[in-house]
Amino acid sequence: MKIVGLGMICSEGQGSANLEKALQRGWKEPGTVATPHIPGGAYPAYLVDFANLPDKTLLKKIRRSDAVSKMSVLAAADALADSGIKDITQKKLGIILTTAFGPHVTTFNFLDDILDHGDAAVSPTTFSNSVHNAAASYIAMSLDIKGPTLTITQFQFSFQSGLQLAQAWLDQGRCDYVLAGAVDQYGDVLGYVADHKLTTAKDGKIKPFTFKPTCQIPGEGAAFFLLSNKHEGNTYCCVDAIHTNADPDHGQSVDINIIDADGMLLDESAYLTSLSKDIPTAAYSPLFGSMMIGGAFNVAAGALMLKQQRRYATPVQDNPHNIRLLTATEDGALAKIRCTGYNCYAERSVIYLTKL
Amino acid sequence: MNTSSLLITGIGVISAAGNNAATTLQSFKQGTRNAGPVTLFPTILKSPVFEVQRLPAGYYLEGLRTLSLALVAVDQALQEARLADLTGLRVGVCMGTTVASQLNALQFYKSYRESGAAPMTSVDRFLKGNLAEFIARKIGARGPQASVVNACSSGTDAIGIALSWLKSGLCDIAIAGGSDELNHVPYCGFNSLGIANPGLCAPFDRDRKGLNLGEGAGVLVMETREMARKRGASADLMVSGYGSSSDAYHLTAPSPEGVGLKAALAAALSEAGIGPSSIGFVNAHGTGTHDNDQVEGTVLAEVFGTGLKMLSTKGLTGHTLGAAGGIEAVFTALGLREGWIPASAGFQNRDAAIPLEPVRETTAINGRYAISTSLAFGGTNAAIVIGREAGS
Repeated sequence: MKIVGLGMICSEGQGSANLEKALQRGWKEPGTVATPHIPGGAYPAYLVDFANLPDKTLLKKIRRSDAVSKMSVLAAADALADSGIKDITQKKLGIILTTAFGPHVTTFNFLDDILDHGDAAVSPTTFSNSVHNAAASYIAMSLDIKGPTLTITQFQFSFQSGLQLAQAWLDQGRCDYVLAGAVDQYGDVLGYVADHKLTTAKDGKIKPFTFKPTCQIPGEGAAFFLLSNKHEGNTYCCVDAIHTNADPDHGQSVDINIIDADGMLLDESAYLTSLSKDIPTAAYSPLFGSMMIGGAFNVAAGALMLKQQRRYATPVQDNPHNIRLLTATEDGALAKIRCTGYNCYAERSVIYLTKL
Repeated sequence: MNTSSLLITGIGVISAAGNNAATTLQSFKQGTRNAGPVTLFPTILKSPVFEVQRLPAGYYLEGLRTLSLALVAVDQALQEARLADLTGLRVGVCMGTTVASQLNALQFYKSYRESGAAPMTSVDRFLKGNLAEFIARKIGARGPQASVVNACSSGTDAIGIALSWLKSGLCDIAIAGGSDELNHVPYCGFNSLGIANPGLCAPFDRDRKGLNLGEGAGVLVMETREMARKRGASADLMVSGYGSSSDAYHLTAPSPEGVGLKAALAAALSEAGIGPSSIGFVNAHGTGTHDNDQVEGTVLAEVFGTGLKMLSTKGLTGHTLGAAGGIEAVFTALGLREGWIPASAGFQNRDAAIPLEPVRETTAINGRYAISTSLAFGGTNAAIVIGREAGS
């Protein structure tokens, strides 16, 4: 399976070129977000600046949708456009949207309705948008995609599950192309929960290689990939294998390990067991923030590196365990990248990307 | 791998119609409609609901009713499949839901917005309550997992995903279906949409006035023929095809031409390698809302002809949302196995705008194949073909 188009939106802006700029630039201080129900409170966060997005046409078309749907539609549209494949929406194209938390802000808005106005006076529009598959439906409606349209949630492994299914759909001829992506949104309730259950980085830096204790800074965004078994369009790389629970390919030589460590687990030391002294390791969560679907952004970074044959230094290099880090940004031959994530049960999920 | 190689070796079901397959069939024969006012949470709304009357002993999990219901159905299905120990087996879990994916805990949120702080009990439950992940950990399944949150087609899509996993060799056995509890938030939501029936639902009836919500879980154990042979498991049923398609039309209304449903049916039949004439009956989505039933009835008549034997079981279970596809797949399998389908509860008067009508009484069925359909919020349509082994 090949990545033939890439689209994304995060605190760096809309479009993969902005992620590329961030990879080139390195770490940047997060913004801050107020906590409406905690007087005087504020959290650091990497949030999307909706007011300054370049695309106004699509946003107008989906003006009644919430932030999860807006981010999804913009990133999905970019992935299709990035592929350059003519009339792509009229082909056998499916959608697999993955998310850890879905439209939770809209859900809480609906709870506001119930609490403020009672069971009989709630907004049908808010309810419609609070359903988990609203974002995928907005993609289908606004881009006129009539193939299978699916939403999956699996906390840390949502994206990996979606990618695995995309491969099956392509291999079985259910689709010729799959638009697979991940989205999650920041909201003050989840900000409060994250701050309460995890540790917020006081210096504004996610330190992915400390492993324990960990620190997080909330992020939000969407990353979408147009996938195909054909070598066409704006091909980035091949997705060779997606494994969950076990990694039968772990013995394979890779050029870079990208890990999803981002402080979303209190103990991320399981990552240490997956690393090798011979392979440089990177983690790009300090660029876009902590998200259970952050693996999608790391895969995007890996795809960009393989396409450009360029290594991007890991942005925050605090390294108490003396692991071998990718410390310099430079051009150089890259054949294979391993992207690894862990969930709260210390189970592993691995995606292998290879140069075409 | 051909889909005729994908067997159903176990089924499990719980709904207002019964706590297992045997009691469900009994209440189907009697046409029992166990609906009543909401008892699970306080509300001023009056639309009747189909609650599960008594959760079997040993399955109560505080604040996690969707998971409790799922476990009941999963245990029944594993028992029928004679899968007591999954050690060493490649087992995937794919479950559809709507409620278990959302942190819609009113008391937690009320406390947070009033004081800026709230106890984490509900959050902890939510974080350990991802449906597929929870089931997989509970039964020791180590294969692929996915919780499908595709609104009302979630359960059907979950079975379709499991079929894809088995065909692609990601696992040898898959536990798939759906589960949802009756929950305050969607109950208010469906009322706000103006489609909650003040009386009992009447799918496909001329005078239908909307849906009743319900709750429950329906689960299939699916496995490759090779795996079943190795284990010495027998099966008379199979999942033969799955199709899914989007209307790309409207967030809450189906395409008037039913384009997505037609495409989903065509894909499911194609994967099964059969034509419409092979279908013995269709267990329709049939919610009892005006738009759904009109579009669905019209499409079914167009694809299968006006003589199709068709029913909606939502008059017996209510609309169980993310569970509906799983529960109705089980009912479809039971119909093929038993050779009869129940009367489509609530139907009395033919709607002249719908070119066919559901069965009015318990009806014998012929044929080796049947279809279960789901039409969801967001314009998603899904269909699965279930088959009976030749000679069984």
